[in-house]
Amino acid sequence: MRIYTESNEETLRARKLLKQWTGDGSLSKEQYQRLEQDTVTDLRITNIFLRLVLFFFTLIGVAAAGALFYTIFLSRPSDQTTGILLLIFAAVSYMAAEVAVAQARLYRYGIEEALAVCSVAFLCGGVALFFFSGSPQSSREIQFVVPAVGAIASLWIWYRFNLWYAFPAAMIFAIFLPGYWTTSPSAQHVFLSVLYAAGLICIVLIRSRHHFDTLEDAYSLSEAFLWLGIYLILNLKISVLSLPSQLWSNTRPSSEFAVPFYWTTWVLIWCLPPLILARGVRQKDRLILAVGAITAVLTLATNKPYLGWQRHTWDPMLLGIALTGVAWFLRRWLALGPGGVRHGFTAAPLSGKDKHAMSVGSAVLGLITPPAITPTPQPTNPDSRFGGGSGGGGASGDF
Amino acid sequence: MRLYLRWGRNPGWDPTLRETTGHLVSRHVLSESNTEHRHAALRPENERAMTILARLELWKEQGAISTEQQAHLASLSRGEPVSLSLELNLLLYAGVLAFVAGLGWTISTWSQQLGDVLILAILSIILAASFWYCFSRATAWSAAETAAPTAIFDYVLYLGSLVWCVELAYLENRFHVLSGQWDLYLLATALLFFFLAYRFDNRFVLSLALSSLAGWFGITISRWPSHQDAEYRQYALLYGLLVGVAGVILQRLKLKPHFFGTYLNIATNVLFWAILSGVFEHEGNGLWLVFLLIACGSSLTWGLKRRAFAFVAYAAVYGYLGVSSLLIRNSSDFSFILTYFVFTAIAMIVGLVLIARHFGRTE
Repeated sequence: MRIYTESNEETLRARKLLKQWTGDGSLSKEQYQRLEQDTVTDLRITNIFLRLVLFFFTLIGVAAAGALFYTIFLSRPSDQTTGILLLIFAAVSYMAAEVAVAQARLYRYGIEEALAVCSVAFLCGGVALFFFSGSPQSSREIQFVVPAVGAIASLWIWYRFNLWYAFPAAMIFAIFLPGYWTTSPSAQHVFLSVLYAAGLICIVLIRSRHHFDTLEDAYSLSEAFLWLGIYLILNLKISVLSLPSQLWSNTRPSSEFAVPFYWTTWVLIWCLPPLILARGVRQKDRLILAVGAITAVLTLATNKPYLGWQRHTWDPMLLGIALTGVAWFLRRWLALGPGGVRHGFTAAPLSGKDKHAMSVGSAVLGLITPPAITPTPQPTNPDSRFGGGSGGGGASGDF
Repeated sequence: MRLYLRWGRNPGWDPTLRETTGHLVSRHVLSESNTEHRHAALRPENERAMTILARLELWKEQGAISTEQQAHLASLSRGEPVSLSLELNLLLYAGVLAFVAGLGWTISTWSQQLGDVLILAILSIILAASFWYCFSRATAWSAAETAAPTAIFDYVLYLGSLVWCVELAYLENRFHVLSGQWDLYLLATALLFFFLAYRFDNRFVLSLALSSLAGWFGITISRWPSHQDAEYRQYALLYGLLVGVAGVILQRLKLKPHFFGTYLNIATNVLFWAILSGVFEHEGNGLWLVFLLIACGSSLTWGLKRRAFAFVAYAAVYGYLGVSSLLIRNSSDFSFILTYFVFTAIAMIVGLVLIARHFGRTE
């Protein structure tokens, strides 16, 4: 069912690891040249920059081709005709993606990815226009069918092409589903969290069959997304995620939740981070650990609003001290273990990939911080004593 | 049989491996191979996918890698140990940022109640402590890349730099020391950050320095009586050229040559933005188009020559945007515009695929 064989994926993984290990100094250049011969594959791969640019231009080309066909061959078509056209475009895009892989042997090349993504977009548009145009009750059905079709198509693309971002896309489509059955915000949250939890159980079960192979990495990422999704749905103070279905159905976003439900979610947002972290530690999975850390920070940041307590200006300082303290303690604790390792974890960088990520990340993070911290010109009005634009450290506003 | 073993059971660790590989791995690394993988390794590839562990086993049996290398690489593949370096660094970064954000927020909210003396004393103490830590812990200066002496060193320096900005902003807003010469703060801040970045080999602070310098250019222009887009553009060009030339000179002088990539990426993007804004003008954009084509050619050549494909991407995207805006801006024929996009997108894809085939590496 997968378009790339396991053998191909493993070969590419081996090739990537060989390059990484040679860069790290674990293998000599001669060894690399010798071993590289064993990882020859017929798949065409490219680097991340060309992949992104090819994705961009393929999107432009496909979208323009669709619009051109519509403009030239159809004058004032009905919604149903447009829908049929979009469905045909979806089929053509999907077939083109399949052919790009089967014939041109493209792998993460940008082109086949953009074609697959376009097929999902065309499919959703086509279904909405073809099946529900002109029907007085269409809004309600659209609210269910289009996201459902989008979610299923995204899951298929994720499975078939092993494109990681199709999985969170399917999760986002799923957010729109519960509005079809209920207008109750509490029920919508429960529905979504149960749906994600069911997905999580499936992924965990499937993942347990894979050890140290390519698919384990793919399932690890999906599991991390699902944990994060469950947390975000359950944390009622991160309310933006509950809005899409309400916006679709033109209902006002309600902040009213049943009291037992509200406090249950409060308990759950405290229970989830340790659970996720424990799972990450047990699986030695960095992605799940990262999600555990993110959810822990979000819980700390949203706890006061949950309890209805007043926020203080020094709260971020305390959070910052806590984060720094935890990071410092963990680093020291790990470093003091035998060989710098405790329970299979180390604070030392083992891979040049991590060091490279840190160098690039530090340059980028350094660039995006200044808008928040760089002093801005003082106001021209001399009477405004403390009216000066932004302060430092992200403090915008007046001193 | 499980593909991994628990720590501490493996007797096969060679203590010299760390030196030979140059990397830290636990001495508990396992070298115990397993039968399942040995069998898997010997099967034809198309019969069953050969995992990296099976390949390592095979390569060891073929003599392509040593037993120690096989043990070391197998342990890395199994994530034993798992490195949390990146995650801990991100946690430290988030912690420093949250702390300074809270500090700034608190000062801006409670400045009247706290009073100038207390606020300045607190900020000065944090600033002095941060810089004292950095100067006391720093190793001797070297023009080459140097590792941070301690794990939290970079973040203490980052904290000091951010607190410097907070204190400077407070001083100016409160006492108007350099009233009317606000841009001098940015220039002084940029110079200080450049010094710190080069003294302590810190990319965070280098980026802060480059941003502060850009801010200085921007604010200088904003105080001009008739600051028009054209003037902004000229100064953006000047900034881009200055940063680019400075990066080249510093690299030639071998002063922290690993910073060159940061200089070049910032300079390239600023230059492209400035040139594009000229191309988007409705009049007198012919010269800017020439500049754009020169810039695209240079970026493409550099990217291909140095295998730096970010520059190929810059040339493709910025060039496409600029040329397309010129070609279709006066057209009201929707079909023509769509046809243009279809054919040019296909042309770009073909061109990029050819580049990828001839030059494109996977990393």
